[in-house]
Amino acid sequence: MCLLALTACRAAPPSGSTPSSSEAHAAEPAWFVDRAESSGLTFTHVNGMSGQFYYAEIIAPGAAMFDYDNDGDLDIYLVQGAPLSQTGSGTPDRGSGIPRSGGRLFRNDLVVNADGSRTLHFTDVTGGSGIVSHGYGMGVATGDFNNDGCVDLYLTNLGPNQLFRNNCDGTFTDVSRSSRTDDPSWSVSSAFLDYDRDGWLDLFVGNYLSWRVESSTPCFSASGRRDYCSPNVYQAQPSRLYHNNRDGTFSDVSAASGIAREFGPALGVSTADFNGDEWIDIYVANDGQPNQLWINQRDGTFKNMGLLSGTALSAHGKPKAGMGVDAGDIDNDGDEDLFVTNLTGEGNDVYVNDGNALFEEQSGRSGLGAASRGYTGFGTAWFDIDNDGLVDALVANGAVQTIEALRRANDPFPLHQRKLLFRNLGHGQFEEVTARGGAAFELSEVGRGVAFGDIDNDGDTDALIANNNGKPRLLINEIGARNHWIGLRLAAARDGAAGSSQTESKDGTRRTRDMLGARVAIIRDETLWRRAHSDGSYASANDPRVLGGLGESAGAPRVRVIWPDGKSEEWSRVDVDRYTTLIEGTAK
Amino acid sequence: MAASLALLLAVACTSQTRTTPPAPAAPPVSLPDLSGSEATVQRQINDRYQSLQALIGNHGQPSEVAQAYGDIGSLLLAADYFEVAEPFYLNAQALAPDDVRWPYYLGHVYMSRTDAAKAATSFERALRLRSDDVATLVWLGNVYLDQGEPDVAEQRFARAVTLQPRAVSALFGLGRAAMAKRDYAAAVNRFEQALAADPRASIVHYPLALAYRQLGDTLKAEAHLRQQGTVEVGPPDPLMVELRNLLNSAVAEENRGIRALDARDFASAADHFRKGVELAPDNPSVRHKLGTALSLMGDTRGAIEQFEETIRRAPNFAQSHYSLGLLLVASGDYPRALEQFRDAVRYEPNYVEARLQMADTLRRMGQHDKALVQYDTILAIDPRVAEARFGYAMTLVGLRRYREAHDVLSEAVRLYPDEPRLKEALLRLESLAAAP
Repeated sequence: MCLLALTACRAAPPSGSTPSSSEAHAAEPAWFVDRAESSGLTFTHVNGMSGQFYYAEIIAPGAAMFDYDNDGDLDIYLVQGAPLSQTGSGTPDRGSGIPRSGGRLFRNDLVVNADGSRTLHFTDVTGGSGIVSHGYGMGVATGDFNNDGCVDLYLTNLGPNQLFRNNCDGTFTDVSRSSRTDDPSWSVSSAFLDYDRDGWLDLFVGNYLSWRVESSTPCFSASGRRDYCSPNVYQAQPSRLYHNNRDGTFSDVSAASGIAREFGPALGVSTADFNGDEWIDIYVANDGQPNQLWINQRDGTFKNMGLLSGTALSAHGKPKAGMGVDAGDIDNDGDEDLFVTNLTGEGNDVYVNDGNALFEEQSGRSGLGAASRGYTGFGTAWFDIDNDGLVDALVANGAVQTIEALRRANDPFPLHQRKLLFRNLGHGQFEEVTARGGAAFELSEVGRGVAFGDIDNDGDTDALIANNNGKPRLLINEIGARNHWIGLRLAAARDGAAGSSQTESKDGTRRTRDMLGARVAIIRDETLWRRAHSDGSYASANDPRVLGGLGESAGAPRVRVIWPDGKSEEWSRVDVDRYTTLIEGTAK
Repeated sequence: MAASLALLLAVACTSQTRTTPPAPAAPPVSLPDLSGSEATVQRQINDRYQSLQALIGNHGQPSEVAQAYGDIGSLLLAADYFEVAEPFYLNAQALAPDDVRWPYYLGHVYMSRTDAAKAATSFERALRLRSDDVATLVWLGNVYLDQGEPDVAEQRFARAVTLQPRAVSALFGLGRAAMAKRDYAAAVNRFEQALAADPRASIVHYPLALAYRQLGDTLKAEAHLRQQGTVEVGPPDPLMVELRNLLNSAVAEENRGIRALDARDFASAADHFRKGVELAPDNPSVRHKLGTALSLMGDTRGAIEQFEETIRRAPNFAQSHYSLGLLLVASGDYPRALEQFRDAVRYEPNYVEARLQMADTLRRMGQHDKALVQYDTILAIDPRVAEARFGYAMTLVGLRRYREAHDVLSEAVRLYPDEPRLKEALLRLESLAAAP
């Protein structure tokens, strides 16, 4: 039984799930170890829960892994909530006595010891960073919108969103209004992408519902007990596409681009070139309404191909409650397959791409659908846990309506569920390996956003889980480095930075910018295709670097990069077991 | 009580002929914490529980006790207390192992708890007791499909089709099983049969379209996507109908009313919503739906009364302001309608429909400048609202700003080439300008 809402519970697996027994793998070290607290990541998300079952309480938060100070390691941003009151939509209740702390920026002070081991330590540098988050935070996206070589931060809120320009000196400036990206809607997931291939990052903002404290409607379970509402009680809001004007401002092109023509309550966003034409497309997971697959028409407009692509609805023909989403190549055939997390009872969905943006739903065959049916999934990603060259999956779970068994046990926040971990066996099959994940996977929490990245630079992907009304978990990967790997930062020289005069990083080297959307082929006997991206998951921002698992092979592979503008370059030999920055136009 | 139950079970087990496998051991039962539930629900469940205890105390017949256990299980299942419903049904099943209802409902309990393996076991048990039940076969097929077992699912759906050749849900299931097995030709065949059996089953069009797509017939795929919907046609399922009608709560009445509305049975819908209002007078959602049903029946006065009462009890319930405003517009009372639309957008600023009505009402009342502001706001919230562009242009016409109106309509026609009203308005405006 949980004693406090903010305390994680040991989870009993839900009926119906058949997790691998912990005992069966007792001899094997845990695949992940939670180092949030020991590394100084002291933070507790507050959802403002008041007993009124305000809808917004259960949707956040997200998290980001991004290198804001260009020192070569990933820093962290954690989104914060606030008490909700009738005084304004998402306006923190100043009279509640709860501090209005806002989201926090943590600097990574990683130390690589002489023996190669890592010491992780985070310092809260929010004060003095210039990041002052307003309102009730939902999610975060990262990208260098002004091409000055420093990663900027976009915060989605219940209420106006905020864009913080990185000043390249450890501080940020709030440019929300001047950039014209301060969308007042309730936004959750967003993504930076260069949809017109002009070398400047544009911005997609997924908007959810028209909900305010003032117009909150009471909802009830079948027995008449108060509970959180379902999304169909409120109206969906159109998402936004902002075009980068290359001068620090954006133009809302939602109507002109066609993006505003169809929309649902958007919760998850993933951008990738789904049809292989080397133009970036957008996939939007909607909560209870058909998902959209916006195929780039290469003229500034998009066409929703969700239905024909087979990714809009379940195989049954019904919309599901799409929450988290990620695109990745699960079968190493060079195209982007989709994973969408859904509501308890629905099961998560796997859509396998034929290379032309025509997908087959393979949730049942993959084993990912049935194993997740007892959970409400949020943050997720395809990522190669063990660097064997096949992407695996992690899902953070947490219900959105009262779990009766927990309520019976007098649980004060009866929504928590445990996380799920899946290993890719090849041939489209996955096995659930949650029991091998470690102690953090035995905890039952209200998981929401997950940011993925190599936080300790040891060549494998770690995961930062943002829990609703709880503490984050920093899951350090303990098994990836057993195999060989290749780490790539796909970058371009900075280009006409808008709004910044800084040109060099702290150590005097010329700064480069991440090429979000660039694809890379790691060529050996079998070719691995990976993509530089910071979007996907749920309300979160990921490490834009690319990690390729090489298994036992230590040979230096050939690497071909397809840059966001469609041009490609090839490097004949790239070192393994280390990170290499590949700069556009420098292949020999 | 446990001792009495053991005795009852012993009697039950010795007196029956063993045509079905032995039922699992009966676990202890207890009621959930009913606090927070509607008083009527609490009363229903508590009354039944007391009856059960009395029966056990009086050494009632096993069949009677089984019925009492099962009745409580059904109430709990209907009220979404899935965990606690299980032991009641298990006891009922143990006492009356030949009664198909208890394993059937247990199957639904396990489905609701996402325990597919147990759901399949229970439905299989029900099927052994009544092998010709199409509903059980379809539920079972769906459970196997969800578990990634299309071959087993196919067998169950096929049996259902043998029993009832035009069972849409079984044909649909066969199509889905074929899709899972990548037999697209067979899937097309089955889905087409399902649609032929009942063209209302619009949910079939989407997977049918994908099957055609896989066969390379994009034209047919697109044609079916255009007809795609969410209407499912299930087999007759009297046990589930009985379950849906059990609970005496506002939400249950609301759900019944919604089903009646979907069936366009407005009078029945109004009856259910009225019962819901009696059970939960302060629930704005139910009362608003009662107003809507009355309005659809033509009882405008009754509808207005309900909308006004909703607003009195829940002033921030924007939908009632909007609905009331619509009825006032229809009666020509623009000033009062405007008040309602203003209130609706005050509580829900992104309520596009209400803001559009507000803008249109302002235009009708000659308050053109204010109307323009509202149309602008709508387009900022949702740029796809063609009606707002139309209204904006018409307001400009009202202000005799013809050139601007022409520009707005031209842009609207470009953005919405499929909207004939925009084209017609533009043509009218152009012919007006061309007139001598």
